[in-house]
Amino acid sequence: MDIDDDDFFTNLDRPGRAANNNTFQERLRQAPRDDDGAEIPDAPPFMLEEEEETPLQQLIRHWMNERHSPDILLNEGELLAGLLDHIRSQSETVQLLRTDPTSSEEEHFRIMLVQTEVERVKFIVRSYLRTRLFKIEKFARYIMTNPEVQQRLSESEVEHARRFARLTDQHFYHSVLQSLPETQQTLDDQPPFVPSMVTEPDKARAVFVLARQDCPPVRLPDGTALDMRKGHISLTPYSVVEQLIARGEVELV
Amino acid sequence: MDNDYFSIDAILAENQKIQCTFKVDIPDMGHLAGGSDRDIKSLTKAPIPIWLAYIILFSDWADFTIPSPFGTRVRNALKAEPRSVKLSNLVGAGGLWYGFGKMVMDILSEEQANGISEVLTKAFKGRLLEVIDQAQHFAALGPAGGGGPSTDTAQSFREGLDGTERELFALAQESAKRMKRWHEGNDKARR
Amino acid sequence: MALPQSLRTSVTPLELELIASEHLVEIVPLITMEKTAFISVRIEGAYGPLRPPAKCRVPLWMATNLKLKKKCHIVPPEWLSVDFLQERLTRETSRPEFSKLPFRFAEIAKVILDVASDDVQNADKIKSLLKDLREARQAKSRDGLQKLDHSELSLPNLCSMEINEIRPFFIQAMGILTQLVREPSAE
Repeated sequence: MDIDDDDFFTNLDRPGRAANNNTFQERLRQAPRDDDGAEIPDAPPFMLEEEEETPLQQLIRHWMNERHSPDILLNEGELLAGLLDHIRSQSETVQLLRTDPTSSEEEHFRIMLVQTEVERVKFIVRSYLRTRLFKIEKFARYIMTNPEVQQRLSESEVEHARRFARLTDQHFYHSVLQSLPETQQTLDDQPPFVPSMVTEPDKARAVFVLARQDCPPVRLPDGTALDMRKGHISLTPYSVVEQLIARGEVELV
Repeated sequence: MDNDYFSIDAILAENQKIQCTFKVDIPDMGHLAGGSDRDIKSLTKAPIPIWLAYIILFSDWADFTIPSPFGTRVRNALKAEPRSVKLSNLVGAGGLWYGFGKMVMDILSEEQANGISEVLTKAFKGRLLEVIDQAQHFAALGPAGGGGPSTDTAQSFREGLDGTERELFALAQESAKRMKRWHEGNDKARR
Repeated sequence: MALPQSLRTSVTPLELELIASEHLVEIVPLITMEKTAFISVRIEGAYGPLRPPAKCRVPLWMATNLKLKKKCHIVPPEWLSVDFLQERLTRETSRPEFSKLPFRFAEIAKVILDVASDDVQNADKIKSLLKDLREARQAKSRDGLQKLDHSELSLPNLCSMEINEIRPFFIQAMGILTQLVREPSAE
């Protein structure tokens, strides 16, 4: 313990005496709770993550999963639609209040806060969609040859992949392939000793994974099993935890 | 060690040559051996780039010798002290010692491949910490730094990094700088 | 491209700060405000009402916003105190494993100390404790690097910002080992 701060510790170590402490910060801690609002239980410092996820928190989780995962994950269309509706109605309220000349200063403050939040959520939605778009373009050919992968995409995402794949194919054909012998004009060769011409997600790439609950054991590349308890954090290849991510038992951090 | 078809790095890495000894006569291909002969005669030795060697070895037209960057001399030096070996000297500036090793490993027999794998893995692990430590040290110095406590051994080690390690060095340095910027910035103004 | 190169393999500290700012903190408001509906709702679709001097729980981003306009005081979380951090630092330096801290402690602490250091008792001491804690934990990450293989590395209690710092080279190094190691089972 730091001797310089001895007094301070004694004060804080005994909660009973804290009431006598007159520092401003102590008064902050002692301030009464608002009875009017809904009952909010005091959360201990580590309980923050325990509360049930709101739709926004779900989106944040899927956003981070998407950012860290080498493969493209299941499109969260329903969740997204709900949040977009919410953004729309909040924006409409803001517009309505803005045009009301009678709104007070307090009202303006509320508008500003609501607007701020709308911008925050829009940022997350955009970043989530852009991350998917990046993968869709990178793996366009792979997506178009894999119906299983297409099922993870929204209709418009599949359409974008189709058009993007066609666009690059045409570009390759016009700029190079048309002047080659016909047998060498394909874009999906799997020649020996050479990587496949179709770019696929590198599922061996490592990810940082956080267990959201106790997980069933998974098999590691070295043959051993990994048994993750809730809260466990590991660095391991994506392929190891692919199923756990899909089932929402872990998240990428 | 990108394994994408369109990766320029992967294509360039396959330009590394390995010494092949032809087992059969190959007519009209003398130019591959670099001489003025019309044909490749059996028992001719020639350095062949990896991208071409795959198919020649696979077809059993030639044997190859393990390239010197993975030979006994280098192995012994690595065993003595992995950090004292200048990998960049073995494969040329910007060259990929690990990538080259991986390609050689893939065309070797099971037993020899395991041997090379062990050499590569041990070297990588034996050097990794020093790579990251130095990267973080440099990031902490900031733009003005450069000289400072950097010793001759440290500098020599940095010069000896292969392309793969250089990339790691850059990643660690960039990350440390980014964290430093975040910690030091008090962006009240931004909010 | 849809996503800039710098964002493809990592997230930025500011993005993590944005996520951490969804955490609820307690404030003592200095203005009155009616109950207001927000998207990040937990409590019946609304935060508030704000009635000084009664405490209220709001997300950190809102607290920051109010604080910068001098409309509230932020009540620091219990762990953002000298005694808690001192105890963790002692534990951190005397034991081999990472001690347990809130997952986004670095982000939350930075935001609060940036905008509301006047609401935090002994802010300077806390800043220096956080720095010591960071350095002690960085040394442990470094030990983790020594244990890195191609298969798995457990890092219990490593926190969000710490993961982000080591991410680029840990992932890259593990990828290289994956290429170099030959698994008998892979044949």
